[in-house]
Amino acid sequence: MLEGAEFYFNVDHGYLEGLVRGCKASLLTQQDYINLVQCETLEDVKIHLQTTDYGNFLANQTNPLTVSKIDTEMRKKLCREFEYFRNHSLEPLSTFFTYMTCSYMIDNVILLMNGALQKKPVKEILVKCHPLGRFTEMEAVNIAETPSDLFKAILVETPLAPFFQDCMSENTFDELNIELLRNKLYKSYLEAFYKFCKNHGDVTAEIMCPILEFEADRRAFIITLNSFGTELSKDDRETLYPTCGKLYPEGLRLLAQAEDFDQMRRVADHYGVYKPLFEAVGDGSGGKTLEDVFYEREVQMNVLAFNRQFHYGVFYAYTKLKEQEMRNIVWIAECISQRHRTKINSYIPIL
Amino acid sequence: MGSMFRGEEVVLVQFFLPTSAAYSCVSQLGELGLAEFRDLNASVSAFQRRFVGDVRRCEELEKTFTFLQEEVRRAGLVLPPPEGRLLAPPPRDLLRIQEETDRLARELRDVRGNQQSLRAQLHQLQLHSAVLGQGHHLPLAAAPMDGLLERSPLLQPPGGPHQDLRVNFVAGAVKPTKAAALERLLWRACRGFLIASFRETEQQLEDPVTGEPATWMTFLISYWGEQIGQKIRKITDCFHCHVFPFVEQEEGRLGTLQQLQQQSLELQEVLGETERFLSQVLGRVQQLLPPWQVQIRKMKAVYLVLNQCSVSATHKCLIAEGWCASSDLPTLQQVLQDSSSEAGVSAVVHRIPCRDMPPTLIRTNRFTAGFQGIVDAYGVGRYQEVNPAPYTIITFPFLFAVMFGDVGHGLLMFLFALAMVLAENRPAVKAAQNEIWQTFFSGRYLLLLMGLFSIYTGFIYNECFSRATTIFPSGWSVAAMATQSGWSDAFLAEHPLLTLDPAVSGVFLGPYPFGIDPVWSLAVNHLSFLNSFKMKMSIILGVTHMTFGVVLGVFNHVHFGQWHRLLLETLPELIFLLGLFGYLVFLVIYKWLCCSASSAATAPSLLIHFINMFLFSHSPTNRSLFPGQEVVQSALVVLALATVPVLLLGTPLFLRWQHRRSLRPTGRQPEEDKSGILDSSDASVAGWGSDEEKVGCPGDREEAEFVLSEVLMHQAIHTIEFCLGCISNTASYLRLWALSLAHAQLSEVLWAMVMRVGLRMGHELGVAAVVLVPIFAAFAGLTVAILLVMEGLSAFLHALRLHWVEFQNKFYLGSGYKLSPFTFAEED
Repeated sequence: MLEGAEFYFNVDHGYLEGLVRGCKASLLTQQDYINLVQCETLEDVKIHLQTTDYGNFLANQTNPLTVSKIDTEMRKKLCREFEYFRNHSLEPLSTFFTYMTCSYMIDNVILLMNGALQKKPVKEILVKCHPLGRFTEMEAVNIAETPSDLFKAILVETPLAPFFQDCMSENTFDELNIELLRNKLYKSYLEAFYKFCKNHGDVTAEIMCPILEFEADRRAFIITLNSFGTELSKDDRETLYPTCGKLYPEGLRLLAQAEDFDQMRRVADHYGVYKPLFEAVGDGSGGKTLEDVFYEREVQMNVLAFNRQFHYGVFYAYTKLKEQEMRNIVWIAECISQRHRTKINSYIPIL
Repeated sequence: MGSMFRGEEVVLVQFFLPTSAAYSCVSQLGELGLAEFRDLNASVSAFQRRFVGDVRRCEELEKTFTFLQEEVRRAGLVLPPPEGRLLAPPPRDLLRIQEETDRLARELRDVRGNQQSLRAQLHQLQLHSAVLGQGHHLPLAAAPMDGLLERSPLLQPPGGPHQDLRVNFVAGAVKPTKAAALERLLWRACRGFLIASFRETEQQLEDPVTGEPATWMTFLISYWGEQIGQKIRKITDCFHCHVFPFVEQEEGRLGTLQQLQQQSLELQEVLGETERFLSQVLGRVQQLLPPWQVQIRKMKAVYLVLNQCSVSATHKCLIAEGWCASSDLPTLQQVLQDSSSEAGVSAVVHRIPCRDMPPTLIRTNRFTAGFQGIVDAYGVGRYQEVNPAPYTIITFPFLFAVMFGDVGHGLLMFLFALAMVLAENRPAVKAAQNEIWQTFFSGRYLLLLMGLFSIYTGFIYNECFSRATTIFPSGWSVAAMATQSGWSDAFLAEHPLLTLDPAVSGVFLGPYPFGIDPVWSLAVNHLSFLNSFKMKMSIILGVTHMTFGVVLGVFNHVHFGQWHRLLLETLPELIFLLGLFGYLVFLVIYKWLCCSASSAATAPSLLIHFINMFLFSHSPTNRSLFPGQEVVQSALVVLALATVPVLLLGTPLFLRWQHRRSLRPTGRQPEEDKSGILDSSDASVAGWGSDEEKVGCPGDREEAEFVLSEVLMHQAIHTIEFCLGCISNTASYLRLWALSLAHAQLSEVLWAMVMRVGLRMGHELGVAAVVLVPIFAAFAGLTVAILLVMEGLSAFLHALRLHWVEFQNKFYLGSGYKLSPFTFAEED
């Protein structure tokens, strides 16, 4: 792509960019959260959400209101917006959107396969699948018994197909295998997405690459953290790390050798970006979890993405911010419905 | 009409509504639409208010209403608008309505559910028979079978392991969009262990949910082996296929088919019965729903208002605050008494003092509404400010007409507006949804007057579709000129242009009785004559209009008791405006009256005179108009310039003086006298106490927060704006001339290029008659499109600007807000 996106960006994508910026203005503000936290029941939450951009999205829900109903409706709303963007997009923005949905598709596939492993009916799991990652062949996932089966029969036509190169094997599925498959898929997905943004160049690359680098590093940290005390060997662990982040290559090698949280922290200390994040993590009792800290950092990056114009990152950022907002609302709603108010304030404000 | 001149007196009132009667009181107030309620609980969030439960119930009901409405709409029926006047129902009725709605909704849901499931069954049956009737001729299954049969005489009948090779079938239907994906997935997953054939159904089947006809793809899959069969079943499940048992034998299939048809016939009968019942229920909904909807909407509105009230200390009554016109206060009291009589304790309303600026209330009728709209579009007037709307009623159409002057065009516009005015009570006209039409319709009286005034100015310009009319005999005599100067035939042949000299006796008999003499339309200097006339006329109209604006300011000052502004602002403004531009107007009129044709050669030039006036000089070639002209002019310029410092410093200094004097008797800060300008902000804090008793007047606040530098800055802006504005605004009125010229020229061109060409075309009667039909059509079309619509819009726009900028900035602040009373009445 040529340099100087500002000259022709608006011809193809100006409408959508305007739209997404308008949507961003509808994100809940700090004041909204303060009001939400004061709610006594879920009905109150609903009434308050009515005054925001959510409008009466819960109007057609039958009583009693539950958190999962709110969650589903919010997801549906996000999905409607996303579909609208996607349907009105032109290349290469539509490819960008496809990349965005891939992560949800991976999650859905893994979810369904786990379900099949535990012999749960497909319908039950389908409800839990993220609507952004839906595709037609999805429900047939459980007929596959090995990863290569899965690829050849079902996923070969989906956008997920290119990510399968590294994970073809004839092993039958078990829980560990599936988890490995997820991480390998995610790794190649992130790398491919990173490459796409990098090749696109321009402001998109400037905005999206740091976000994806962070995403990759976050995965590396989380994989390391989760692999402590499991049978996963260190070499296997290293193959799971996405290689498009700032940690690559030295940091990843060090991470692969880490054996507990403190060693992980030491690795992060070498990086100016991650040091403060690990410092912010509280110890066991109270304080923030590593996950929360990462989320906060992600929100920050995504909000900053809106400061530049003429790039695709705003769509990514908006979707992620909206997801964070949904997590916040669900958190608050859960706290309210379980009458567990002590932790209600640990949502992550966006604006 | 009295309230047109300035907004009505609006007071802040406090309502004490006994808790038991609060609902009925507010609902009565809503019916009448007299008072605007203020939110006393602004700090309380929506879900913590007192009546949130009732609001929620109303919303719940509305949700059910939406469901019912949607059902009625889906059945292709229309809800009739409710009839009669429906009051907000008493709160106890809510329960009854809720019960009945719920029952209706439940019945409807049941019947609808029955109908759905019956339809789904029927659909299933139809699909099944479609699949069976499709006649997939099993080419796949036949081939191996035939092969076996052919070989059977030669070989032993197949047995043992070959028994497994029995072919199984899966038959079903799938949506056409998914068929290709299904086929591919089947092939990939089962690798040739199956053969599938897909075929589209011939007739379309109704979708059980949406009721839309859709085609389906039927498929027949034959496969070998049980494992494959399981896979196929999973795959068909995931594509939401309808799978049916498939009997291999032709006869068996035919039998099933007949059975299916029998079943579907029975089902259709039951379905018909259900639909009849459904339409009965829907009929009831149709009858009951509209009044309920209105009632519940009113009820919700009442509760929302009640949510804005605060509760008294004793919990016996609700306290509401609101704005209300003081003339409506007795009505309000009466209404409250009536509606709270049942409760035993009567509701009370009384005025309370307030410091906020009250909203503006100007009552309009259908005639004045359009003009008030023009003013309000600029800005709603401050409380009790002079309202420019009544003057706009005349000046707006007049200034428009000056730019649009043409009898024919004006007449068309007048007739169009008249038609709208006469038809205004017809429901069809009112109900029209077209936005452009609504705009025109709401401005019908404006159009009417604009048309009327255009006819008037058209007569003055003597133009009807750009042609001059000779109503009176012309004041010029060509015959007299011919005899006096002895034009011979040869002279006439040589000179195509001849001059009529008004100085020759008998040629100019006297001015034309009304408007422009038609003889001018023949003259080649027609345009320069008109230009001079229209330019001068624009200046005269402009200066008059602006002076009128300044004079209107007097009423503001008198009303608000700001007498100092009369002397320190209006008077200098008037002197400045009239001394400079009023004098110009005087010169124009003076020259018209005093210079005659005989002295035309030595007539003084006004332009030079006016320029010289500012330069304090004198040009010898330019004869002076009247003796002592120079002295008068110099005096006027000096006077006008002298008013500028008065305008600039008068009001701020006076306010400062007044402010200090008001501080002195309190004696709180004796050193304040000596302190300079810098301390005045401190003084403003001290000023609060002394001003507290004089509440209600908007002037007080400004006084209380007196900061000299701010007042000075404000006044400086005003002064500069006014003085420069006088010059630029006067020039701005020249647009009257420019647009009127443009309009005249455009219609002239249209006549010359279209109509005149057509009239000249054929001299035989027949040709002209035939040609003139399309030509006239073009002329008429272009006249309407360009001269009426386009030119009309542009003239409208310029008239609007002259009012908003040139006229209203002389006196109108327009920074108020409208009184929007709580009312159930629908907006027109």
